[in-house]
Amino acid sequence: MSAQDRVTINRLSTGVPGLDEIVGGGLPEFSFNIIAGAPGSGKTTLAHQFVFANATPERPALYFTVLGESAIKMLRYQQQYTFFDPAKLPASIRFVNLSQVVLEKDLGAVLDEITKEVERANPAVVVVDSFRTMVRKPQSDMDLQSFIQRLALFLASWQATTFLIGEYAEDELRDNPIFTVADGLFWLRQAAERNSVVRKLQIIKMRGQDSVPGLHTFRITDAGLQAFSRTFGLIGHLKNPPGHKRLSFGIAELDKMLGGGVREGDSVLVAGSSGTGKSVLATQFIAEGIRHGEPGIVAVFEERPQAYAERANSLGLDLETPQKDGKLAVLYLRPLDLSVDETMHSILDAVQKIGAKRLVIDSLAGFEMALSPGFRADFRESLYRMIFALTGIGVTILSTVEVDESFTEFPFSTYSISFLTDDIIRLRYVSIDGELRKIMVVIKMRGGNHAKDIREYEITSTGVVILGKRLTHYQGLISGIPVHSDRPDPMPEPSQEPGIGNQR
Amino acid sequence: MTASPEMRDLAQRLLTYEADAGKTSEPMESATLRVYEKLRQGLGEFAGVAGFQSLASRALALARLEAPSLGAARVTADGSLQGLGAIEHPIDIDKDRAGAYRAGEGGMILITRLLGLLLIFLGEALTLSLLRVSWPGAALGDSNSENGRKA
Repeated sequence: MSAQDRVTINRLSTGVPGLDEIVGGGLPEFSFNIIAGAPGSGKTTLAHQFVFANATPERPALYFTVLGESAIKMLRYQQQYTFFDPAKLPASIRFVNLSQVVLEKDLGAVLDEITKEVERANPAVVVVDSFRTMVRKPQSDMDLQSFIQRLALFLASWQATTFLIGEYAEDELRDNPIFTVADGLFWLRQAAERNSVVRKLQIIKMRGQDSVPGLHTFRITDAGLQAFSRTFGLIGHLKNPPGHKRLSFGIAELDKMLGGGVREGDSVLVAGSSGTGKSVLATQFIAEGIRHGEPGIVAVFEERPQAYAERANSLGLDLETPQKDGKLAVLYLRPLDLSVDETMHSILDAVQKIGAKRLVIDSLAGFEMALSPGFRADFRESLYRMIFALTGIGVTILSTVEVDESFTEFPFSTYSISFLTDDIIRLRYVSIDGELRKIMVVIKMRGGNHAKDIREYEITSTGVVILGKRLTHYQGLISGIPVHSDRPDPMPEPSQEPGIGNQR
Repeated sequence: MTASPEMRDLAQRLLTYEADAGKTSEPMESATLRVYEKLRQGLGEFAGVAGFQSLASRALALARLEAPSLGAARVTADGSLQGLGAIEHPIDIDKDRAGAYRAGEGGMILITRLLGLLLIFLGEALTLSLLRVSWPGAALGDSNSENGRKA
């Protein structure tokens, strides 16, 4: 059968930002869905968002409430959400209470009542909240199975997209006919992780389309649920593949060490201990981009945007004007129960808004601290997904990371994340001639030659300035405690290209 | 704790509307009962019998504090109101000339209290939306209450 012979399944917006992408492009029309989860996990709010997004006077939504939360209280609370539009009630959204019939009669009578209301209203959307309480009364498996199948068949035949809401535990997934009949199964979870609460959702089942597998973070705000796909909404969206450009730091000597600059779309790690100038270097990278018409984003976790801009200003770098001009966004992300996915969402929003080409994450340690403890365990994996997604759309990322200075080792980062980065610039202190001086070395440049020189640098009123020649009179520089060597200056070596060994 | 003037005005409008409607038909129950029954039908659909019954019970308890004459009235298990007949007379088109009918003070207070509870729980916009279903022809307008969140 060719694609054009196949039936087209319309997809309805879920009304939940981010969820359409997770379910595979929207909810299939006329599907029969379950929203399951523990109390307080957001099931009713999700259903309300769907209802308010899809109900019209011509094809309204019927919202059956059963036992459990009082309908009046439910409306009292739900109307606090910004998506709740009272003007839609009752012409587009009708709430029907089935408590009495559920309490006093059997499932056949419940089905008759639902049938009567559906035939009367011709709804596009039907919600039963909570379905679990409806079928809790003792009844035979056959009765229950028959009821569910008749209900599903009837609602689909009447062209209604249906949500049944239930408080189910995950071990009930087996042997429950409701999960067999359902076309779509949404599972909402919330778990306390030390002092934070983490909400995640999973599409366990979605007939007829590719949903994004795995657990996706979501948050409930005054706008309702907002979901953050594990794929960051970038599936198949390689809109801006990186080119072959080299991006300048605005520090000529460093650009030379990098073989002409950072390759566009690379992930660069600047590692060093406190005070070595990681943030200064990052700021120069962003400012240079703006000078070249490349909008940038700085995600700061350790200082406030104003302080960040003021520090840049002290280096002669104006970050205020480009922010006003929409060429720079400084994101301050520091709630303590953040997920990488939410951070990513904020960054992606800013990338799309200003067309950012450069991104600075200052710093990874601050980023990790801002995450909920539960997400810290997945930090490396999350970083991998984030970096892969952003560099895939052509954004060049510079992350700073603080490393504990050791005089016996030369670690690149405490996260074992160097495999995530294309380029690593290492900054460190060394003790030379009774002074604590700073050296810089390019450790790694994936896919490109770079200088192997160890260069001394200073942080001046104009930023990082690389000094003189490479340090040839010392051995053991990377240990931090070099030994003076009396060897004569080596002759320039052709193999040092693109090194900058003899430049000052 | 007294009812707000806005709720009293809204209750008065509903009672007047039902009094006028009642004059065109056979003699029947009082305007208060007609308003109450419409509220019971409309709210019962989404709040359920028990939901409406508990709300009405609360409204009656509050109303009794202002109108001891409501002492004989009670809300039954299905949410209907009994015992109001002793203090309110039915609409009689022979006796109640157009514009002359006024609901009993107790009935007025009860309806005011019931509407007040709806406003507290659902807010102004939603309350008026629900009332408009039962009284599509009545000019209900918007009160200036600050209890409900405006959309």
